[in-house]
Amino acid sequence: MNNLRELWDESANKYYNLPAVRWLKKKEICEKTYGELSDDIAKIRRGLKAAGFEGSHIALIGNSSVCWIQAYLGITTGNNTAVPLDAGLPAEDLTDLINRADAEALFLGEKQAVLAMQIRKECKKIKKIWLLSDDDIEDALTLSDLKAAGGRAEDVPGRGEDEVATIIYTSGTTGKSKGVMLTQGNLAHNVESVDYTVEPGAVLLSVLPIHHAFCLVMDWLKGFSLGAVVCVNDSYMHMVRNMGIFKPEVMLMVPLMIETIYKKLSSSGPLIPKKIVANKAFGGRLRIIFTGGAHLDPFYIDKFKEYGIDVLEGYGMSECSPVISSNSPEDHKPGSIGRPLKNVELKFENGEILVRGSSVMKGYYRMPEETAKALKDGWLHTGDKGYIDEDGYLFINGRVKNLIIMSNGENISPEEIENKLALHPLIGEIIITGENNGLVARIYPDEEVVKSKRLKEESIRTALQAVIDAYNREQPSYRQVTGLIVRNEPFPRNATGKIKRQEAAA
Amino acid sequence: MDKLTRFKEIIAQYCQVAAEDMREDMRFREDLGFSSLDFMSFLGEIEDDFDVELDEERLIDINTIGEAMNMINGLQGA
Repeated sequence: MNNLRELWDESANKYYNLPAVRWLKKKEICEKTYGELSDDIAKIRRGLKAAGFEGSHIALIGNSSVCWIQAYLGITTGNNTAVPLDAGLPAEDLTDLINRADAEALFLGEKQAVLAMQIRKECKKIKKIWLLSDDDIEDALTLSDLKAAGGRAEDVPGRGEDEVATIIYTSGTTGKSKGVMLTQGNLAHNVESVDYTVEPGAVLLSVLPIHHAFCLVMDWLKGFSLGAVVCVNDSYMHMVRNMGIFKPEVMLMVPLMIETIYKKLSSSGPLIPKKIVANKAFGGRLRIIFTGGAHLDPFYIDKFKEYGIDVLEGYGMSECSPVISSNSPEDHKPGSIGRPLKNVELKFENGEILVRGSSVMKGYYRMPEETAKALKDGWLHTGDKGYIDEDGYLFINGRVKNLIIMSNGENISPEEIENKLALHPLIGEIIITGENNGLVARIYPDEEVVKSKRLKEESIRTALQAVIDAYNREQPSYRQVTGLIVRNEPFPRNATGKIKRQEAAA
Repeated sequence: MDKLTRFKEIIAQYCQVAAEDMREDMRFREDLGFSSLDFMSFLGEIEDDFDVELDEERLIDINTIGEAMNMINGLQGA
């Protein structure tokens, strides 16, 4: 398979009458078959052409939903490029990304509908906004309007293997997020090369954010390629309840989720049999959890095995569509991140993992310098250090780049937060570090401001905490700063005047 | 078992602080070591246990045990 159109059409034909997606509406379980979903996707694809969008960049902002995935596949099985954005970002970041991605249209979740006015004002290239809803809503265009327009229109062919299917934004080490361009072939080959299979009709519960490559490709595209039923988790608050409702066999999780679930499991005490605890916590059918995005302590792999669940760790990054290596049910080694996929070549340069293969990105959108730094002769510099053991399993043992990896898999660029907070006059110097799975700000207050306002130690601290609280209110939880250390002296600097980050955090 | 005791017992499943040592001014994240997901998962459990429906939009204002308890009381009283 060389593009998403082939991937989707093959599944839609093969599994036409099987359920493709399940979701909750209030407390009722709804579903769509592959045939029904295919019909919706085709209408959206044709609707986009009828509205004049061909070869356009189209952004999506919204939580995981059947409407979101329909819109995504409507864009990418046709001749447009999808730009999925994190619905939790502040409005100013979203408008900046829409502009930087040159998006001309937008699918917007109902919960995010309040952003529409600001986006129209600040994103001049946006010609249309459709709400991700199957209802008719007064004074707004919705997915249902687009489908209605597409019902009568002409279809378009899928795009070529080398054309860009998706631009995914990822934290940049320079403080500015970068748009990873993934081609149709990149995505289709990643789906094909991940070595696991389930029977058609197997149930997956998708709990990760859908705009992330790991969730989008491995839950949704891989799940559809196997004829699985992908169920939508409507809220993290209800993840455990939804496991009981949908009874999944396979789930993708980030280490943070595994840690949280384990806390709950271990609190039930030794008297209750593990099978009963597992039935209550996981719905009774869960047998595989794929995990990636951050390091998982192998302790959890052993513990989950006691509940009859294989936790299989993998490794990837958006730039590789995303999976690079993975353990599989038949072939795994705890502590490793599995064997490289069959379409991946690896080599090491001063310990850094370099990747080449058909899932490696085309480049960063409109960032030629960043692209040249990351991609040299087709080899992607991952920024991670690692090695392959004598049995062919990959291990990670360090990092080259300055990114904080949270246990929910989010990569945080400390500079991005530092630059933002440093705009406040009271902040003279600031370093953000990741500690105990939270972000800590070390701040040296601006001497001039302290002097001129005659601030005392305690009032400096209170004022700085207020700055951080105000920043936190605008941010998704993984970017909130949860610790504050006020310094009495400036940070140590190197010969070129840069703060020595390692020493500063000590 | 009274409501506050039950509430603290559920919290204790997610942290290293014993229910009897909890004070209402303790903050979930800073004092009890909750991750953002622990907090969401805990609230889901509260919904089921106390038979209330929480509005995710309002959760941003909840930092302490006392604030969470007040929210539940408000919803049950409503």
